[in-house]
Amino acid sequence: MKKFLLLLSFSFVLILAACGGDNGGDGGDEGGDDGEAAGEDGEETAWEPEQSIEFVAPAGAGGGWDTTARMTAQVFNEEGIIEEDIGVINREGGGGAVGWSYIAGQDGSNHHMFVGSPPLLLVPLNGQAEQTYEDFTPIANLIADYAAFAVRADAEWDTMDELFEDMREDPSSVTVVGTSSPGSMDHIQFVQIADAADVDITEIRYVSDQEGGALTQLLNGSVDVFSTGVAETIEQVRAGEIKVLGVTSEERLEGEVLEDFPTMIEQGIDSTFINWRGFFGPPNMDEEAVTYYQEKFRELSDSEAFGEIRDQYGWNEMYMEGEEYQNFLEEQNSEMEALLNELGLGEGE
Amino acid sequence: MLKTINQRVSIILLLLAIGYLYLSYQLPSFAYTNVDADVLPKALGWLLAVLSIALFFSKDSETEEQKARRDIPRKDLGMIAIVFLLILGYIFLFEFLGFILVTLLFIFFSSLILGYKNYITNGIVSVLFPVILYFAFTEFLQINLPQGILPF
Amino acid sequence: MGSIEGIITGFQTAFSLQGILFVSIGVLVGTIIGMLPGLGPITAIAVMIPVTFGMDPSSALIMMAGVYYGAVFGGSTSSILLNAPGISGTVATAFDGYPMAQRGEAGKALAIAAIASFVGGTVSVFLLMALAPALSSVAVSFGPPAYFALMFMGLTAISSLSEGSTLKALISAVVGFMVATIGIDGQSGTPRFTFGNSNLMEGLDFLVIALGLFALAEVTTLIINRKDSSMSKNKELGSLRLSKNDLNEMKGPVTRQSFLGFIIGVLPGAGATIASFISYIMEKRLAKNPEEFGKGSIKGLAAPESSNNAATSGAFVPLLSLGIPGSGTTAVMLGAFLVLGIQPGPLLMTDRPEIFWGIIASMYIGNIFLLILNLPLIPYFAKILQIPRPLLISLVIMFSMIGVYSISFNTFDLYMLLLFGVVGFLMRLFAFPAPPFILAFILGGMMEQSFRQSLTISNGDLMIFINDPIALSLIIVALLTFVFPIIKQIRAKKR
Repeated sequence: MKKFLLLLSFSFVLILAACGGDNGGDGGDEGGDDGEAAGEDGEETAWEPEQSIEFVAPAGAGGGWDTTARMTAQVFNEEGIIEEDIGVINREGGGGAVGWSYIAGQDGSNHHMFVGSPPLLLVPLNGQAEQTYEDFTPIANLIADYAAFAVRADAEWDTMDELFEDMREDPSSVTVVGTSSPGSMDHIQFVQIADAADVDITEIRYVSDQEGGALTQLLNGSVDVFSTGVAETIEQVRAGEIKVLGVTSEERLEGEVLEDFPTMIEQGIDSTFINWRGFFGPPNMDEEAVTYYQEKFRELSDSEAFGEIRDQYGWNEMYMEGEEYQNFLEEQNSEMEALLNELGLGEGE
Repeated sequence: MLKTINQRVSIILLLLAIGYLYLSYQLPSFAYTNVDADVLPKALGWLLAVLSIALFFSKDSETEEQKARRDIPRKDLGMIAIVFLLILGYIFLFEFLGFILVTLLFIFFSSLILGYKNYITNGIVSVLFPVILYFAFTEFLQINLPQGILPF
Repeated sequence: MGSIEGIITGFQTAFSLQGILFVSIGVLVGTIIGMLPGLGPITAIAVMIPVTFGMDPSSALIMMAGVYYGAVFGGSTSSILLNAPGISGTVATAFDGYPMAQRGEAGKALAIAAIASFVGGTVSVFLLMALAPALSSVAVSFGPPAYFALMFMGLTAISSLSEGSTLKALISAVVGFMVATIGIDGQSGTPRFTFGNSNLMEGLDFLVIALGLFALAEVTTLIINRKDSSMSKNKELGSLRLSKNDLNEMKGPVTRQSFLGFIIGVLPGAGATIASFISYIMEKRLAKNPEEFGKGSIKGLAAPESSNNAATSGAFVPLLSLGIPGSGTTAVMLGAFLVLGIQPGPLLMTDRPEIFWGIIASMYIGNIFLLILNLPLIPYFAKILQIPRPLLISLVIMFSMIGVYSISFNTFDLYMLLLFGVVGFLMRLFAFPAPPFILAFILGGMMEQSFRQSLTISNGDLMIFINDPIALSLIIVALLTFVFPIIKQIRAKKR
């Protein structure tokens, strides 16, 4: 029996070690970077990177964050905008929270950054992350993507207004599907527009399908509306399987098929939703380093090579930096917070 | 009271079930689903509780083969504990020492402790394995492994 | 329809010099990466994406597809030799493959796996070619209730996955299911059992559980038998020779499971894992000597191997003809398409026939390459088992660590791996079977989500499971297979 007690206590120690171990590991990394950064301080020449730069995609390979990070790194290096090597690593988990706490652990480093987008606001607001966007150093925003709401081609609705007409009468008569969990992007982008159209958003039924089956559920009639990104709808629209009732951009988008999608505003719903994507550094990144990166990101955003990438993925240019970006984030954050509170999902409830 | 091994195990399982159930009843409710997040965990917790009680009273004793499997010499058990402690140390030092160094040390010492007497082969393998893998991963596969205190 | 013309274009693309070159590069890279324990098709595809920049899309995608099914093909090697499944699709392969290798028949086990994979791959490519356009409607025919029923059917098989006590198998499964509930709940966004730790928010990765419960737990057995050197003297270890009897035994399972695997693979979200488990269980039910399963049965090895490879080709139906990625792997694959400016979807077949049919046609070549690439190498792979035990143990542990680290780059997962190694060891000591644990872990999460999705859609009405004909028939089958063995047992006892 003693043996078993020993084993049991051993596994207990393991659990403890696992819970504390992560911090220990990150601490080690951090120390190294600090030392190097501090040594260069106080010099008069403009700041330049002294070692390879790490871009973190706080999600698995293949997603929006990952693609943005990889494409940006590629253009930076291939076009020679930044000479130092840029490595992209995936730190997946917790809807981004794992990657964020990794970057937060690189306090003061000038060689780490991550790709952020609306979930950086939403996940913390839902109480699912230790950090908020305010803990990080916003560097620059690069691109914008927009939401689209699609229904089956044979659905009874042809415009957002017809859909919302039904939903104003009985919000629970319509089922919405999306890939992210409730309170995250696919849910909130629909709720925001519905709210602007005077639908009782506390009654909306939202189904989350994280296994990639959301489109399947729309096609086979399990659900009524698919809340997603614009790019995901194009092929199905061309094939005549679904129709897009509206997109959340300010003005009509450019491109074949895309230009046919009506905006919310032209349908009389005064609301937009932007899936912005930009880069953030760790807390206390040096100001000179931020200035350096902003210059480089600006150059990247204006480059032809990155323009091609944007077209390929259907992204829109949306360059912001400094105060403009800061204000934008604050504004977005308070909008999201108000919505989540109305839904009763906010952290405070 | 706790005559059979199954009865002892069932007590541990029951405690696990109780702990899990306690946490399940703490889960906050969410207004927008018909079946909330706590329903399945509660069901699983109760099910495990019932099953562990059934195990306590179950008559099927172990086969001789199963008994023999548990009859591990103290020395081997000690060895398993040592290897697992080595793994623990490996993980603890993984990001600090870096992949190459910590893997080198682990392979060499764990093989040594397990009774591998051919020091030369052991030395060669414990250097080549991490070095080759490290460069294969970082150069060809573009998968970054921790570099640690080594300069490359 | 012009689809015949399309097929011809496809064959021309695939059988051109360039096509053959790239498919062979693809399967070579895929099978090597797949063989490394812990590295699966996702890593393999992600690694190859940058390589394809600037390549002609059809060659690039033929290569990427080769990487994908090559990795699945190679994935069985570490399952069989080291009990260390690198992808969830090859867990069931370890059930009988590993005991067979330990018996000294490593070469034979690898050969059976290679042949079963080849047949599974080839039969399914044939089905893909004949039925792809028609099957896209099958791919979307499963709504949440039908998925729930499919997972439910898989779970009811738990009793048949265990030797010995059914009670212990059930306990094992319940605990596995409990572990699956860790993380943010998909339907409500509530974190469950995470103790505020952001590392647990996404839940535990399959590999952490599989390598812990299988590979690390097996390490403890190896440690106990560390002085056993019978393997190093065994000259037959790497022998590929299969007797006529062996081949006859394979025939049934391989044929049946190639079809079944393909059909399950077509369903988005189901994929190779569920296909391989269901195939394994089905063959065990059909077998005249089910007690041999789990101890190195040829049927038990051939069934999941043909099924997981067939399912991999099946997964191309929703990907190519609908643009729907059915799994994490096909999602990365979809990413590879987009990078090259190709949008898979209903129009791909008519817009870009050389790509749609080219990929499919190239799979014939790819599968043949894989077979002739793998067979001669088997004797060398089998030699891995002749590495002196102490060194082998250290290397298996290292491979498990690297495999887990390369998914999340997080030492937290390594601690979890070790924890599940200890759990797996304790389970062995007290005779709790591990397969039900891992099956419940894999199916449990999806089953709960689809159950709750269904009820959100129906607003809480349970009739949704009965009104859906696919769900209803699957549930009936599940109940029958669950009740039938019990009746058989009771009858046997009465006699």
